Amino acid sequence: MEIVIYGIINSITLTLMALGFSLVYGVSRLPNFAHGALYVLTGYLAWLLLNRVGLYYPLAIIGALALTGIIGAAMYYFVLVRIRGMPISEIIASYAIGLAILEGLRWGGLKGGTFTLPPFIEGSTQLFGVSVDYQRLIVVAAGLLLIGGLWLFVSKTKLGLALKGIAQDERAALTLGIDSDRMAVVSMALGSVLAGIAALVLFPLGSIVVEAGYQVLIMAVAVCIVGGLGSWNGAILASFLIGFAQILTVSFIATHFQVVVALVAIVVTLISRPSGLFGRQKELEERV
Amino acid sequence: MFEARGLMVFYENMLALNNVSVACGADQIIGVFGANSAGKSTLMYTLSGIMLDIQKKEEMAGGERITMRGEIIYNGRDMMRLKPSERAKAGIVLCPERRRIFPESTVLENLMIGAYLADSRRTAQTLEYVFTIFAPLKRLSKRLGGFLSGGEQQMLAIGRALMAQPKQLLLDEPLLGLSPVVQYLLVKSIKEIRDQRNTAIIVSEQYARPVMPIIDYGYILENGASVVAGTNRELMDNPDVRSAYFGS
Repeated sequence: MEIVIYGIINSITLTLMALGFSLVYGVSRLPNFAHGALYVLTGYLAWLLLNRVGLYYPLAIIGALALTGIIGAAMYYFVLVRIRGMPISEIIASYAIGLAILEGLRWGGLKGGTFTLPPFIEGSTQLFGVSVDYQRLIVVAAGLLLIGGLWLFVSKTKLGLALKGIAQDERAALTLGIDSDRMAVVSMALGSVLAGIAALVLFPLGSIVVEAGYQVLIMAVAVCIVGGLGSWNGAILASFLIGFAQILTVSFIATHFQVVVALVAIVVTLISRPSGLFGRQKELEERV
Repeated sequence: MFEARGLMVFYENMLALNNVSVACGADQIIGVFGANSAGKSTLMYTLSGIMLDIQKKEEMAGGERITMRGEIIYNGRDMMRLKPSERAKAGIVLCPERRRIFPESTVLENLMIGAYLADSRRTAQTLEYVFTIFAPLKRLSKRLGGFLSGGEQQMLAIGRALMAQPKQLLLDEPLLGLSPVVQYLLVKSIKEIRDQRNTAIIVSEQYARPVMPIIDYGYILENGASVVAGTNRELMDNPDVRSAYFGS
């Protein structure tokens, strides 16, 4: 039972980490390697707003998310727009920005366990005889809400439909009056906010450390590669595969093999099914 | 009045369009005919502005250098430097070659993505219209775009373009690879769209015969240049055109 419950929690944690990365890649074919940095940055911004500016906790959260969204949009608008269509340069540039943010934070004094966000609700409860703290339940709720909200957004709103269109066929979307640069800015902002939401629900479980940035990036990339780059359903399914695999590894082998699981998953996927579980290569070829 | 004058498009040093001029009145259907690689799609991409996007992408990737000259005037406004999204807003909407349906969206969702520029009242009204002229789409509205037949995909592509509220519709090879029966139905719908929606249409095709009856004026492209132009009667009476495009 413990494996099931913690497996679900871990899987949804991975989904949260990967959603933003997957969204940006799906819409703009932009591998945002600053994803992990944005994650840590949101946590740090929330901490600043909470402890230095002295804002009320919910306000600090909203403020941090808004700032991260703006930073993500600015990243696209000022840097990434210049190198669109060159995947290697996009990876290098976004990773460089991420590195600058993360190492800048470390240099600025973000280390050790001194920076923490308080959990939304203290305490824990019993679920089928397993003790789970409330914050982890909030993680699950946030994950489910985000998945549902995102689904509603991309299938019911004009902006969401436009994002979906441009993700599937950019040229066709252009003929319908959808502007690809504007959509890329929107997707970067949205992706950054998603990274931020993940950070804000996950950081209260531990402390804000720079290393989390690299780890989140690895997890997001692993989930997206296993699920098929750009596929949202694939990302969710892959989160559950890797999430449960990790929990099983922890209970039957050893805790420190957790990250190895993700890396092995990448290697196995690339060898056996390079386009991922739900990869879009050659699946739905047009009929002439 | 939609008018392109002296369009020249180069891919590096290769001339893809050579001094092509096309005009389309507000209630006209104009045909553009030519063999493969005659420049039909280049013309359509240039008119709709997609060529600007292709040009930008090639430049970023260090590929071919694309150069464009000439002017595109729509209702007295210069369109040549406008982005494709701005041209779509002005009413120039391209239904691209090979349909380019969104394969992972349902038929209905494809149409709703097409309605990006329309307000909700127009969206509802156009949706109803699309389901009237392309009745099969209504029955298939929950099916994924990638699982439609070629003819259904083409109906969806035209329907999707209609959702963007075009005043000047550009149809790039709408009959490509379809059976004669479906071709006949589509040609009929194209004429209906012009008559019922007050939409001017430029349609390009490799084979002139199915489209010829509905066009007001036609151009024949060869190697990127417009070699013959005339009303459909004039084109059909021209011996060169007859032998090349009607096989008699």
